[in-house]
Amino acid sequence: MSTIPALVGTADTARAPAGGRHGADEEHVRRPGRGGLLEAEERVAAGVGRALEAVFAAVAETRAETAALLARVTDAGRGAVSADLAALRPGLHLRLEREELVSGVGFVAAPGLLTDVPAWLEWWQSTAEGDVRPLLLDLDPRQSAYTDYTHWDWFALPRDTGLRAVAGPYVDYLCSDEYSLTLSAPVELAGRFAGVAAADVYLRHFEDAALPLLRELPGPAHLVNARGRVAASADPAHLAGSLTKGHDFAAVLREARATDVAGSGVRLVPCRGLPLVLVWRAATA
Amino acid sequence: MKQRHVESDARDTSGRGGAEGARRAVFAPVESRARVEAVVRRIGDAIELGLLADGEQLPGESELAGLLGVSTVTLREALMALRQRGLVTTRRGRGGGSFVSLPERPGQERLRARLRGWSSEELRDLGDHWAALSGTAAALAAERTGPDDLRPLLRSVEELATAPDAAARSRVYGRFHVELAAAAQSARLTREQVTLQTEVGALLCLVLATDEYREEVADRHRAVIRAVQDEAPDSARTLAERCVRESAARLIALRLTL
Repeated sequence: MSTIPALVGTADTARAPAGGRHGADEEHVRRPGRGGLLEAEERVAAGVGRALEAVFAAVAETRAETAALLARVTDAGRGAVSADLAALRPGLHLRLEREELVSGVGFVAAPGLLTDVPAWLEWWQSTAEGDVRPLLLDLDPRQSAYTDYTHWDWFALPRDTGLRAVAGPYVDYLCSDEYSLTLSAPVELAGRFAGVAAADVYLRHFEDAALPLLRELPGPAHLVNARGRVAASADPAHLAGSLTKGHDFAAVLREARATDVAGSGVRLVPCRGLPLVLVWRAATA
Repeated sequence: MKQRHVESDARDTSGRGGAEGARRAVFAPVESRARVEAVVRRIGDAIELGLLADGEQLPGESELAGLLGVSTVTLREALMALRQRGLVTTRRGRGGGSFVSLPERPGQERLRARLRGWSSEELRDLGDHWAALSGTAAALAAERTGPDDLRPLLRSVEELATAPDAAARSRVYGRFHVELAAAAQSARLTREQVTLQTEVGALLCLVLATDEYREEVADRHRAVIRAVQDEAPDSARTLAERCVRESAARLIALRLTL
């Protein structure tokens, strides 16, 4: 499934601004215009962050509604069943309609959570015609080789870390057949992992949102995830889905500070609160 | 997810029904004709592969039409074709409806009958298509794969090595090739591979019954993974092509004995 995961700081909200612009170790402005470039790259990184934070907001709403629903059912003294999750539908439909970037949204139950079925996805997608439809998976292991969804990064990362996560870009042949990013967060019931709330962003839609931002920079720019997989690009030399090699993007994200790649003019700028790095090259120095 | 191991081949219904039926089919609106066939294929294959149980009652006509997203007229035509193939019986009146009626033949024999529906030339072409997809996917994956991308492929190889029966083996075999296309970061290749596996998946049951060939396929898959890991696109392509060509060759050899 080749999902490329990365973790995001907190379970619900973005961290305080952590970009290089206000950092104490920020390099000195070496020549006229550099300050403007630094501001521009920060603006681009922040714009990308805002686009995906809107998606994370939809995930957080789903997470809260699901957790409240599961708690209500449990308080009533019984185990949750798949039919209980139908109560999530109005909210899921609303988010599909409201969030331009979101093409699929829902709750994916941890196996064993529901008493009537071994596994369940309460998952809704928007169609090309603008309707919403449920995803109906064949979850019978005797018939399908794709019934175990617990290996996918969008499920495993929130489960294993307790944090919200961005998986991808990856080919989502389970749910949408689209090249996608999936943003997800863990749902808990009585302090135990109960499943994930998640939202799909098709990469072509993400490109629509990211490209105008990337083009604002005066040099070729692209966005990569923690493993260097290109998520959006305004640079024909680095197309979406390819790997940008030779940089430790995970370290850039850990340090949450923009850096220069020595001698190349390449800048690596973390998108605050998100596991994406803006890579761009200022026109030759 | 689609029904991944349901073949999409309904060619054994073609050519039946005489000149009148053929003429009607020719002049039926194209879209609706295609829909009837799609419904026949979907339900017929589900029955042949045991996804729908013998004697099971199908939902009522209007409900089924709604589920499948077709008109009731289209559905009725499809049910008629299924009755002609002996896969559905319809009882009238109270307690009536459409029921699955499994052909009185064991699975293996039904699969052989299905394989007979393919000419050796068609199987050769299927193998060529598959080799093109998996070979290209392997080469692209070798260029685009990070270390963590290989986990699903490794898992599938290990599952194949322990899969008990031919049906489980063919499902995991197919999944490996879907995962390979996903590792290539190509949604189109992945979709094509999924579609292709719905055609070839059931047939592969016929050649994956022996542990010996199951092991051979697992080894070939391991070799593909190693080449992808080594970022060796040419070698990955060649190994993936060889793997699927060998399976297609076995199907063709079997077909020629039927």
